[in-house]
Amino acid sequence: MKTIVCVLAGAAIVFAQASRSTWDGVYTDEQAKRGGELFDRQCANCHGPAGAGGSMAPALVGPGFSADFDNQTVGDLFDRNRTTMPPGKEGQLSGGDAAAITAFILQVNKFPAGPNELASQSMALKQIKYVAQSPGSER
Amino acid sequence: MPRPVRRIVSALALIVALLAIVVRVAPRVSGQAANAGFPSKEHGEWAFYNADIKGSRYMPFDQINASNFNKLEIAWHFKTDNLGPRPEYKLEGTPLMVKGTIYLTGGTRRAVVALDAKTGEQKWIYSMDEGRRADVAPRKLSGRGLSYWTDGKGDERIIFFTIGYRLVELDARTGHPVHAFAKGGVIDLKEGVVFGKLVNGKWQQVQIPLVEGEIGDHSTPLIVGDTIVTQSSMAEGLRYEYASNAKGLVRAYDVRTGKMLWRWNTMPGPGEPGNETWEDGSWNWTGNTGVWTEMSADPEAGLVYLPVESPTIDVYGGNRLGNNLYDTSLVAVDLKTGKKKWHFQLVHHDIWDYDAVGAPLLVDVTIDGKPRKIVAQPSKTGFLYVLDRVTGEPIWKIEEKPVPASDVPGEKASPTQPFPSKPPLFSRSYVATDDVIDFTPELRAQALENLKKYRWMQMPFVPYMIPNDKELGSILIATSMGGVNWPGSAFDPETGVFYTQADNAAVVIGAMSKEYFEKVRPETQKKQNYMPIWESESFGKEEGFGGGGRGNAPLYQGLGGLPIVKPPYGVITAIDLKNGSLKFQVPHGDTPDAVRNSPLLKGMTIPKTGQAGIVGGFVTKTLFVVGDPMVTAPPDRPRGAMLRAYDKENGKEVGAVWMPAQQSGNPMTYMIDGRQFVIVAVGGGTYTSEYIAYALPQSELPKVTTEPRR
Repeated sequence: MKTIVCVLAGAAIVFAQASRSTWDGVYTDEQAKRGGELFDRQCANCHGPAGAGGSMAPALVGPGFSADFDNQTVGDLFDRNRTTMPPGKEGQLSGGDAAAITAFILQVNKFPAGPNELASQSMALKQIKYVAQSPGSER
Repeated sequence: MPRPVRRIVSALALIVALLAIVVRVAPRVSGQAANAGFPSKEHGEWAFYNADIKGSRYMPFDQINASNFNKLEIAWHFKTDNLGPRPEYKLEGTPLMVKGTIYLTGGTRRAVVALDAKTGEQKWIYSMDEGRRADVAPRKLSGRGLSYWTDGKGDERIIFFTIGYRLVELDARTGHPVHAFAKGGVIDLKEGVVFGKLVNGKWQQVQIPLVEGEIGDHSTPLIVGDTIVTQSSMAEGLRYEYASNAKGLVRAYDVRTGKMLWRWNTMPGPGEPGNETWEDGSWNWTGNTGVWTEMSADPEAGLVYLPVESPTIDVYGGNRLGNNLYDTSLVAVDLKTGKKKWHFQLVHHDIWDYDAVGAPLLVDVTIDGKPRKIVAQPSKTGFLYVLDRVTGEPIWKIEEKPVPASDVPGEKASPTQPFPSKPPLFSRSYVATDDVIDFTPELRAQALENLKKYRWMQMPFVPYMIPNDKELGSILIATSMGGVNWPGSAFDPETGVFYTQADNAAVVIGAMSKEYFEKVRPETQKKQNYMPIWESESFGKEEGFGGGGRGNAPLYQGLGGLPIVKPPYGVITAIDLKNGSLKFQVPHGDTPDAVRNSPLLKGMTIPKTGQAGIVGGFVTKTLFVVGDPMVTAPPDRPRGAMLRAYDKENGKEVGAVWMPAQQSGNPMTYMIDGRQFVIVAVGGGTYTSEYIAYALPQSELPKVTTEPRR
């Protein structure tokens, strides 16, 4: 019986997480700040300050970027950062650093911060949906 | 010899002779080009990056047309994930098709792949593991493609740049390096590249390090007859904090042996005309000024046309006062000697990263009753620069007009810049009051209020500035990312009409932070002996960027993520080169989701806005074909992007076919066994790169097919 309760509780957590989106405060300000410092050193050379874009790498803000990730998951964005960036040093960012940079990208895309940090596992982040437009339209 | 045998021999000889005649005559009977050994458009072959060496991107086909474009189906596709150590999301390649084989580059190691043109079946693959040299290379990933050469007698070769800037020749049939070419089929293009260095107090031009030295190229070498012409490019603009770097150059090689035929330095050295445009000896230390996009050639005129980029440091020229020849210029050099014949500087003392980009277009047209050989150079400035391609003289007046001065310490902007009187701009060159967002009066008022915080002069060529109490930066558009970029433009050689896609919404805040200025100012550069990036302590580790501070610029405040300029955000423009007039201009691309779904625009009907981005297309008998630069998810179709066909007469969209992701490389088209194919590279966001080949279903194909060619 105990086992069944645990399984059910686990399922409930998964279900609750699956319904989360980028509008639910999924990272912390502190994490994004750390990510911003990493971004300046690792990413801004090509993607421009705060992801404004450069002539070789696309902008990480604005309509093109939000279209790329709209209705995908934060895990997809995290995977891009961790496995394909920065070119020449791919796969060298730690999970924690990749999560911090992901948090920074969420912040510059005007998603709200919250009480808990983004996890540094892709599977966990795949349960957070990337939704470009605010459900409350107050964006 | 006994008589019967002699008879047989005579008969055999006769048969052989007859066969020889048949073989020689056959190509002409079937209407093929004079020498069947060479590829030709008549055979349906797309044998150069731009379909030809004149930059047309034109193919004389009409099987796929306005009536059936919507019926296109995916014939095959080729995923590039496993061509390198990790998947790629930025495939910019355009394949070639010659004699039934597709040749392309792909993957994060820039592999070369040969495929069957009808089925996509893989024939061979080649790639080079260059280790650290590729890891620190300025131009990584799969590149934009490769080049093909044949002697017309069965010797066929594929020629391309590796990520680490080696020129490689492969046997087109096997994918093996051609050992007769240079050293085992490979030329180390870093050999001979120089940068300025102070040695015992004297400036010298010395060899760059072969591993760390910063140079490479994404483009395809240009093949003109038996000559290979090679480009040079460095890291992307705007990141430079060092006035020194490798110096740009163009070289030519014998296609058979790899012997270097000539070399042309993009920055004239001491004693050469133009060296005086680098004041205070700045030629010594300045780098870049490469030729990084595609080039063109006119073998009859014996000229190669080179679009040259800007020097280091992109947006600060205090270390290189003067006009800086041949920065941001179109230069014609002699095909045989590499000697400069003429040049035209598009932007003097470029401090915006304008560059000259995209293949120069070599068009033969009749203007004012006279047949003219012209060259039309597209640009990021929004101007199409049209010149006589033999003399370099402008076809229509290009006026030097006064432009604003710079107030950044040590900077001296050119007092004038060239403004073509014709043709009209193909995309915005500055943000005019009329260009400001006007979906609602509130949005417009907010945008105009935001703009007050900036230096907004409503003209092009406003220099970057250091933010102060009153102004946070200069309002620019285009510069780095607008107008036409590396995908280039196209033209119809039969009608003399120019076609291009262009970005119309790339607003840039021209600001350099105080920290950045401190790094780039002459005092600092001098103190560090003008060292190049690879001599800096941070090289290959973590690299800083001081270009403009943290985002969330006040420019975009209260606009809900909407662009500050009104649509169209991206356009297709056609210009009649016979008279320099605008033929049509239409928005390109679906309205972005961020605009269509914007809560600030709720209840409003927004007409098609087009999309920002840079993409290239091709021209056929009736169509201009180009894909969306952005994915969208409108209610009436699955999330993705569209490959669109425009009526080349009036710009009306006459068909569109779905792609799973945005166009990332220029499309091409070819014909084999009576079936026309279209290949386009797609990818980005969460979608890994692939080439998709579209064709009409067999049921839609005409019954009569042409002779297959092997």
